Order: sequence, then structure tokens, then C-alpha cells
Amino acid sequence: MTSTSLPDSLIATLPGTSYTDPAIFAQEQECIFETMWFCVARSSELTKPGAFRTVDVGRESILVTRARDNSIRAYFNVCRHRGARLCTEAAGEVKRAFQCPYHAWTYGLDGKLVAAPNLTKMPDVGRTEYGLTPVATREWLGYVWVCLAENPPSFEEDVIGEVVTRLGDAEAIERYGMESLSVGSRITYDVKANWKLIIENFMECYHCATIHPELTEVLPEFADGFAAQYYVGHGAEFGEEVQGFTVDGSAGLDRIPGVAEDQDRRYYAITVKPQVFINLVPDHVIFHRMYPVAVDRTIVECDWLYMPHVVDSGRDVSRSVELFDRVNRQDFDACERTQPGMSSRMYAKGGVLVPSEHHIGAFHDWVHERLGTHQSQ
Amino acid sequence: MIPACPLADLPRGEAFRLEIDPPVSVFHTEDGELFAIDDTCTHQDASLADGWVEGCWVECPLHASKFNLKTGAVDAPPAKRPVRTHEVLVEDGMIYVRLSAATPNLPPCVATKLAGVLA
Repeated sequence: MTSTSLPDSLIATLPGTSYTDPAIFAQEQECIFETMWFCVARSSELTKPGAFRTVDVGRESILVTRARDNSIRAYFNVCRHRGARLCTEAAGEVKRAFQCPYHAWTYGLDGKLVAAPNLTKMPDVGRTEYGLTPVATREWLGYVWVCLAENPPSFEEDVIGEVVTRLGDAEAIERYGMESLSVGSRITYDVKANWKLIIENFMECYHCATIHPELTEVLPEFADGFAAQYYVGHGAEFGEEVQGFTVDGSAGLDRIPGVAEDQDRRYYAITVKPQVFINLVPDHVIFHRMYPVAVDRTIVECDWLYMPHVVDSGRDVSRSVELFDRVNRQDFDACERTQPGMSSRMYAKGGVLVPSEHHIGAFHDWVHERLGTHQSQ
Repeated sequence: MIPACPLADLPRGEAFRLEIDPPVSVFHTEDGELFAIDDTCTHQDASLADGWVEGCWVECPLHASKFNLKTGAVDAPPAKRPVRTHEVLVEDGMIYVRLSAATPNLPPCVATKLAGVLA
């Protein structure tokens, strides 16, 4: 064995710099987050016309809102006049219009320039032409996705296609009726790690038996290290004694009626590149969005979705939430423990992936492809 | 009397701006009443026709001072002076405005003054 060849059991990871170099992160922002479909909000957060959220997508701030006709709209959060940031709050509500706090250029919820000082003296300034610059939007599974590309890629191929690749068909996820579920809990994690470490962690289960004792208790097959994401259409089966997907294996909440018999008592996990993870269990759905903010920092927002009557009646979902909240904390601790090692001299050429992690190699190839860089091995 | 527009072209909740100097706008309220006032906010050059009508008040789209469509009075700063009100008549489906003879309360036009200095 030479220093550059690896035994057959192992394949190489990305080099350490891929997780630490701000220039590489900037390329990822440009070539991945600003060109692909990016999930920004739960549709139900935008409760009525004028409700808004601002979200950083790549290097851009995006304003997501609901127009008078109840349609979801997204715009660059930048005034067309002199470039001031229009909305600085993370979320809020305007009555009728977005107004720039600098010179009071005022935009309707449909993005049109409604008013500006002396505007009537400038009849040649088009109200649409100088309106807010729109961004493509789509709603699916009760979530809002935006795409900053001038010509957005096919949502069906890029987003729905990822689910089809994992589950076999889109119907498998649609049976959970996610758009009509209610948010029973939302937890936001501030993770001091590169976004790719988080994705890689979600993709493999080699770590499960070591850091996820509760999860492995509920899903005993996780002890063999093969993730639910390893096989197409496979859902990990609950242990025999396990009543529900809860921190102590006790009974869960009311089963989602659309869930098929062969999906019952099973856990499915899906990664929708570049920033969404979905976990499906019979009584709830766990939906993660990652917001990469720096080369070594990622905000993860996670929703637990239940049948509306479960949430409305105030049923106790805490044991259910606690299971995956613990899993998340265990995972993010591991990612944070890994981040400093990425800049070690010892890790300059990266590490290795064992056979049950080899599918992560496909993720690395994908990153190279998006950035137009050569594969390291 | 100045012809504005056919009544049929001005739905309730909307305004028609007459491009005269100074401009005047006719408002058709949700209750079906018609009012005409000076179109320019007395605080800064903004078109009240672009503002939002609620009851018999119109809110300036820039800084949210509200003007009473019946009396021209302003509710709160930053605008301090009222706008003029004008008489509205409808004849044969056409809206007409009879302009007030009062002096309008226009906002200070800094641009004009500066233009004079710089010219």
C-alpha cells in the first residue's frame, strides 16, 4: 500500500479544507444554495397577507411573504433605489406594504412600487420595473421553497426526485399528508460545524449504536450501522417491544390516517440536497432545514408535525419530541467535535469512509460536480 | 368644472388622479361616496391617490398621516396642515370637480429651490 492508495474497504472523504476554507464556502453559496431549490419556511408560518419572514439564502437575504390573493411571494430583500435592506426583522407582519426605512420607497405585497417621495414627478419610473425583484417559489409538503437561479431547475426532478430516489415514489411521502399536519414543536439549533458534516452525519448510521442509545433502542437494526438511507424504499422497523417512536418507546400519538400498512411501525429518512432532511414515522413527521451561515456554522430549524387535532387538543408530545431532539443534540455535538479536526494538519488530505458509509462518496462527487472541481481521488 | 373620469371607471376603494397643477384626486369610498381633495400630502411630495382609503380617511403611503376626505383635516404628524377639499358632481355618469378657491397647502419643494440655486 502506498500513501495514496487505500484498502478496498475504504474510500477517501473530502479534504479538510473543504470544511474550513471560506473561499470554498463562498463557492458553495454561489453554485449550490443560490442555484438550487432551497426550503425557507413552513407555509402556515405566513398566516395571512403581509406576514413575512426573511431568510439568508447563500449570500442573499430573501423576503418571503403572502400577497393579498394569498399566494406566496419571495423577493430579494433589497430596496431598488439605493440598496438598503428592506426588512431587518427575521419575521413579522406588515399591514399593506413594505417600506424602505431609508427614503420610504414603498412596495405592495405583490412587489410593485406603490409610492416614493416625488414619484409622481417621475412618470417614467415603471412601478413594476422598479418593483421588488421576485424570486421563484414553490410549495410542497406544506413548506415554501425558493430558487434564486434566473432559470430554476425542475422542482419535480431536483426536489420531488430526491424523495422518489429514496422511497421509490412520491406517493410514499404524500400519504403522510404533511401539508395538513400542524407544527407541534419547533427547535432551532445553532451548530458550530460546516453544513456538509451535518449532511454526512444524517446520511450514515455507523455512529448510531455509539451516540444514539435511545434511537437504537427504538430501531434495533440501526446497531448494524446501515442507515435507513442506504436502501431504496427501506424503512427501519420498530423493535418488538416498542410501542411508538418516543424517547422511552412508549406509545406515540394518533397515527396519520394515510400511512399505509407497510409503512406502519417503520422509520424512513430522506435527504433532499442541499439542506432538507425528512424523517417519517406513523404518527408524526420531523422536518429539518439547514441554513448554512458560515464555513463553520449552520443553523438547523426542526419541526415536529402531528395531526392537527393532536396539537389543537394540547396532547403531550414531549416524549415524542424528546427522542429526536436528543438524536439531534447527539449528532450536532459529534459534528462540532469534528469541525476543529478539519483544520488539523493531520486531516489535510481528509479521512476515510467505511463500506456502510460509501454512499457518502456519491455526495462528495455531487459537491465536486456542483463546484466544477476535480475529484480528489 | 373640470371633468375627471366616468363614474363607471372608478370602482369603490379606488382613486382617480387629475393631472392638473397642483394635482387633485377623486376618491370613491367603500361606502359609495365620492370626495375630491388635493392629491399631494402636505408633509412631503407623495400622491394620496396611491395611499389607502379606510372609511372617509386616506392614509398617505409614505409616512402614514391620514387625511379626512370630507374636511381635509390631518389626523397626526408628520403632516401638520390640511389638504383642500373640492366639490364633486356627477352628471350623465361623468365625475366633475369644482376646484376650491383656497390657497393649497403644498409641501416645501426643496428640489425646486435647489434647482434655482444650482441653475
